Amino acid sequence: MRSAGVSTERHAEPGVRALSVGAAMLCLSVLADSGVEHYRGLFRNRVMVVPLAVSAVGAVGNLLAATVHRGFGRIGQAALALTGASGLGFHAWNILKRPGGLSWRNLFYAAPAGAPAALVLAGVISALARSIDRGSGRAVRRTARFAGGVVSVGIAGTVAEAWLLHFRGAFHNRAMYLPVSIPPLAAASLAVDAIDGKPRPRTALLLGATALMGLGGVGFHAYGVSRNMGGWRNWRQNVLAGPPLPAPPSFTGLAIAGLGILAIMRHRRG
Amino acid sequence: MSADPMQQPRAANGRAPNVMRPGGWVPMCMHDDADEVDFVIVGTGAGGGTLACKLAEHGFSVVAMDAGPYWRPLEDFASDEEHQHKLYWLDDRLVDGDNPLVMGANNSGRSVGGSTVHFAMVSLRFRPEWFRARSTLGYGADWPIDWRDMWRYYEEVERTLRISGPLDYPWGPKRPAYPNRPHPLNASAIALAEATEAMGAKWTATPLATLSAPWGEAHPCVYRGFCVTGCSTNAKQSVLVSWLPRALAAGAEIRDLAMVGRIETDGNGRASGVHYHRDGQWRFQKAKNVVVAGYAIETPRLLLNSANPEFPDGLANRSGLVGRNLMVQSNQAVWGAVEQSVRWYKGPPSLAISEHWNYTDEGKDFHGGYAYMSQGPLPANWATTVAGGRGLWGSDLISEMEEYNHRVGLKIVGEVMPQESNRVTLADEVDQYGLRIPRITFSFCDNDKRLIRHALDFLDQGLERIGARDRWRQEDDTCHLNGTARMGFDPETSVVDADCRSWDIPNLWICDGSVFPTVGGVNPSLTIQAIACRTGDRIRELARRGEL
Repeated sequence: MRSAGVSTERHAEPGVRALSVGAAMLCLSVLADSGVEHYRGLFRNRVMVVPLAVSAVGAVGNLLAATVHRGFGRIGQAALALTGASGLGFHAWNILKRPGGLSWRNLFYAAPAGAPAALVLAGVISALARSIDRGSGRAVRRTARFAGGVVSVGIAGTVAEAWLLHFRGAFHNRAMYLPVSIPPLAAASLAVDAIDGKPRPRTALLLGATALMGLGGVGFHAYGVSRNMGGWRNWRQNVLAGPPLPAPPSFTGLAIAGLGILAIMRHRRG
Repeated sequence: MSADPMQQPRAANGRAPNVMRPGGWVPMCMHDDADEVDFVIVGTGAGGGTLACKLAEHGFSVVAMDAGPYWRPLEDFASDEEHQHKLYWLDDRLVDGDNPLVMGANNSGRSVGGSTVHFAMVSLRFRPEWFRARSTLGYGADWPIDWRDMWRYYEEVERTLRISGPLDYPWGPKRPAYPNRPHPLNASAIALAEATEAMGAKWTATPLATLSAPWGEAHPCVYRGFCVTGCSTNAKQSVLVSWLPRALAAGAEIRDLAMVGRIETDGNGRASGVHYHRDGQWRFQKAKNVVVAGYAIETPRLLLNSANPEFPDGLANRSGLVGRNLMVQSNQAVWGAVEQSVRWYKGPPSLAISEHWNYTDEGKDFHGGYAYMSQGPLPANWATTVAGGRGLWGSDLISEMEEYNHRVGLKIVGEVMPQESNRVTLADEVDQYGLRIPRITFSFCDNDKRLIRHALDFLDQGLERIGARDRWRQEDDTCHLNGTARMGFDPETSVVDADCRSWDIPNLWICDGSVFPTVGGVNPSLTIQAIACRTGDRIRELARRGEL
């Protein structure tokens, strides 16, 4: 196995670079989000620092892969996926140990059940990017379609988390319906394209809208922070109490990865 | 900030405080005393404030008076327990009976918005059978309202107050999801959950009238714990910030610092208006209808103080029941200490609840039911509780207070039986307005005592099973006030009908907790508001039919 940080001479094709950018964005989103949320939890369990470290490395590695084509190696990818998977376990344990167990209340307020999956996705997408970059012919087409399925499922999972937390907030602002209406269409459309291997303009449009919505979501969440007592003047409390600022860009990361897959499917067509 | 709201009325000159904005105002319709308004409402709490909104929105002209000040929550509510006593009704009253009531904190309020300004926000529906307590459960009295009718109005109130509650309420007939999701539990609530599960019963997050998400201009709850006092963030959905802004927008006039002393009748068996004290003078507001909504002490007091040659025993008192059947709720607790840090002051005090003994009839040696909730008394309140309940003083009290962060407790809201001997009468002494003050007579009956004993035994076992040590029973507390002008099916055995209209005087209405024939084992504010909503709709219907 090659180590992380192997370099090759040529530039990767744009679609592969988009996959790396997507993985990097997911890592950045996890870095900022778990940074804020685990700080809020006072790093009570020392392993709560692990996702910060791993996502930081993952962000840098994938950005390098995207820009100067330094490969982000198998070890890094495995670390991302493993951290994410064990995070899912820790979060599940956090939910189930509370009175009421698997209940709405604990899903709302315990550790977010699905959040660590973003790291798994980052690792898998990063690995797929590498494999597409190095492969050719039918194998690549198959891998690209598989990656389309992964991203589609990833978007669906992110939608589920946004729905859960926006439901917790009683959809008190109509904009809160956006992440549960546009991305599901994008995920479905991407899934269809991945199944029949035909990239459609409609999918690109929906993924583009999802990417923009993810960025705009930061603005909406900033407004959400201002809706708490004291607004932004009381930012030290309200950034923790209000909606998570770094969460929406995970949609952008996945959507960019999805656009990359469409480009690869177009580029490597039979 | 404007002048002292306890000295000078704020709702005047065509405007009233905008409770959502510091220093803000909203326009307010004004009426002359000589204008014969459709409704003058005495009291702006859960009954009167809600009804003022409904009637104004139905197009009636409304003047709602309250003896208390018009607070601006964002400016007037300091985080100081003693300071917040200004929200209580602390005028002189005489209390007697075997269990004289402690008046003030948890049973009365003197504010525009009434005691909902400092209520604990617990918003529970009655068990359906309680509306037919006499015929289905064999005690108390039946209500003349069907529970399905009430269920509709409960939903209206829950929507208006944006109640934060569980998605799956464990007891009673299926109810719609609460508008807002439940709040997170604090450690005190988790203690209730564990104790209740250890006893094999169910528990849930308490439906609370404090926001778990922004609503309108109001912020969500910040869990600062100043909850049985004034909420300075407007997360608490008191009548002051929920119904009354709507009432003003619909054209109601609200008069703060307006103490109504007497209802006038016209010699033909109808009410003609109210005498009220405001700005240092007695005035008279003419009205086509008078609604009394002063809660279970001030309502009978006003009706009795309004006695005149036409109605020598007081108004609406043909049955002799005005002032009778006063019901509090038993509010006993078991307290204990646990090893881990609890910090029960965090968040609303009653985040978790069990209504097990409201809905279970087996295994009881008493009529009625009780709910119990997790607790979070603030330090001064807790010091008072242990000083009084355990007789701690000096260094004992200090070392007890050092354990404050490790205390847990479970407290009931228990049903008491209606008894005619528990009553409000007039004393000979007069208050600062020259009005005779109420004498409040209350004694627990044997059934009440059996309920309390059952509850304390159950709660004590629960706390024991979660390893709480130093447990002790607080046996002396009560909360809430109801009865004293009960609704019923006929003029001989009740004061008002199902529409809260007095049997004796057709344009005199009573709309507050006084009309409850029974209290049930849940906090009454939601039911009072639901009755007010129903009354508002019924009045519109009666007006349509020309039967006002």
